[in-house]
Amino acid sequence: MSQRNSYAVGTGLFIVLGFAALAYLATQTTSVANSRQGRSYTVEAHFANIGQLKERAPVKVAGVRVGQVQSIALDPAREAADVKLSIDQRYSKIPVDSVATIYTSGLLGDQYVGIQYGSSAKSVADGGTLALTRPAQQLEEMLGKFFGAGGSADNLGGTYLLKARFTNVGALSAGAPVKMAGVAIGSVQSVQADPVKLDALVTLAIDKKYGQIPDDSAAAVFTSGLIGTQYVAIQPGGSPEPLKDGDEMVLTQSAMQLEDLIGKFLVNGSPGDKKPGEGSSSTPPAGKQ
Amino acid sequence: MNAQPRHNVVANALAQIGACGLFLLTILAAVPRSFRHGRETVRQLWFVGAMSLTIIMVCGLFVGMVLGLQLYYVLSIFGGTAASGTVVAIAIYRELGPVVTALLFAGRAGTSVTAEIGLMRATDQIAAMEMMAVDPIAYVAAPRFLAGLIAMPLLCCVFCALGIFGGHLVGVTWLGIDNGTFWSNMTATVDVWKDVVNGVLYKSLAFGAVVSLIAVYQGYTTPPTSEGVAYATTRTVVASSIAILALDFVLTAFLM
Repeated sequence: MSQRNSYAVGTGLFIVLGFAALAYLATQTTSVANSRQGRSYTVEAHFANIGQLKERAPVKVAGVRVGQVQSIALDPAREAADVKLSIDQRYSKIPVDSVATIYTSGLLGDQYVGIQYGSSAKSVADGGTLALTRPAQQLEEMLGKFFGAGGSADNLGGTYLLKARFTNVGALSAGAPVKMAGVAIGSVQSVQADPVKLDALVTLAIDKKYGQIPDDSAAAVFTSGLIGTQYVAIQPGGSPEPLKDGDEMVLTQSAMQLEDLIGKFLVNGSPGDKKPGEGSSSTPPAGKQ
Repeated sequence: MNAQPRHNVVANALAQIGACGLFLLTILAAVPRSFRHGRETVRQLWFVGAMSLTIIMVCGLFVGMVLGLQLYYVLSIFGGTAASGTVVAIAIYRELGPVVTALLFAGRAGTSVTAEIGLMRATDQIAAMEMMAVDPIAYVAAPRFLAGLIAMPLLCCVFCALGIFGGHLVGVTWLGIDNGTFWSNMTATVDVWKDVVNGVLYKSLAFGAVVSLIAVYQGYTTPPTSEGVAYATTRTVVASSIAILALDFVLTAFLM
C-alpha cells in the first residue's frame, strides 16, 4: 500500500508540474501576455497602405500602449485598408481630429499604430472613425535614397593603384568594391593604419579603363543596404588632370555611422509634417513595388 | 533472381506497418476495458513520465542554454541580439521541444517498455494472463500506451519551460541582453495557438502516440528469446527515431 502511495504521489506531482509548465508557456511567453485588457471601445481608421501591420499590433499614444489592432480588412469600395482599433475604455477622450499613423518600432521591428491627438474638443465615439491617417512609410524607400547597390568590377584590363586616407573606415575591408556613379570600377586592395599620421591608409585598385578620374575627386566610405558591406565611392571632381598610378586622393569622407544617419532621419521624418485638418488620408497609396 | 529478395523486403516492411496499425486498433478497442485497471495506468504514468523528468529537465535546460549562446553569436553579427528571446522560444516550441523530448522519451521510456513486455512474453507471463482470462492487451499494452500518450505532452511542456529558462539564463544573466527586451519581444511574437498549441501540444501528442505504439508493439511481438528482446529494444529506438523525424516533417507542413 505504501508503495502505491509513493508512485501515486510522484505521478500526481508530475502531472501538476506538466500542466503548470503548459500554463506558464501559454500565458507568460506568448502574445496572450499582452492581450489582457479591460473594457474597450472600437475606432475605425482607413489607411492607404498598412505595410506589415498585423492584427493585435499595439496602438500607442505618446508611445504608451492604449489598445490593439482588432481587425484589418480591405475596404471593398475603394483602395484602402479598413483597420479597426480596440482602445481601452480609460482612454476615451481621443479628439476626433487626431491623426493615426503606422510606425515601425526599431529598425526591423513590428509595426504599430500611433495616434497623435488633435485639438478638437469633441472626442471620437465608440464605432467612430479617425478620418486623418498617414499610411505606413516604407523604410526601404527612405533608406534606398541614401545607399547604392552592390556589384564588382572585372579586372581584365589591369589595374592601377590610388591611395586615400580616412579618419575612419568603418567596417571597410580589403576586397570591398570601389564605385563611381554607383558602378563598380575596382576594389580595395588593402586597408592599413598609418603609424605616423594615425589614420587609415586605403589602397584602391582601379580598372585601367577608368584612367581619367580627375585629381580633385573625392573618396567616401559608404554602406550598401541596411546591413550590407561598406564600399568606397568616388565622386569625380572638375580638374582636367587625371589621377595616375600611385597618386593619393586628397579629398576623403570617412565612414558615416548608420546609427547617426538613421537617428537624424527618424527625428526629422516624424509626426507633424502633416497638420490635422489638411484633409483625410491625403497621401496617395505608396506603391509597394 | 534478384527481384525476389527485394520483393520480400518490401512485403516485410509493409507487413510490419500493417501489423502495427492493426495492433493500434486492438489497443484502442481495449482502452475502455483497460479503465478497470486504472491503477496500472497510473503506475505506468509514474514509470514513463515522472521517472523521465530528470533527464527531460536537464536536457531542456542545456538545449535552451546552447540556443541562447548560439543565437547570441549569430544575431550579434546582425546587431539583432534583442530578437534572441523570440527565436529561442519559437525554435523550442516549434521544433526542438517536441522532437528532442520524443527522442529522449523513446530512449528512456520506450526501450524499457519494450524490454519489460518482451520479457513478459519470453517468460510466458502473457500466456499465463490469457490462461487466467485476463486480457493482456487491456492489462499490459493499453495502460502503457495511454501512459505514453499522456506523459509526452506534459514532459514536452516541462522541457520547453526549462529550455526558455536556459535561454534566459545564458542570454540575459550571462551575456547581458536586456531582460525586458528578451521577454517583450518573445511575448509580442509567439502566438499561443500557432506556436504553443500546434507546436508543443499537437506534435508531442502525435509523437507520444507513435513512440508508445512502437514500444508496446515491439515488446508484444518480440520472439520469446533473450536475443529477440535485445533486437526488439533496438528496433524500438531506431523505428521511433525515424518515425518521429519523418512525422515531424509532415506535421510541420500541416500545422505551419
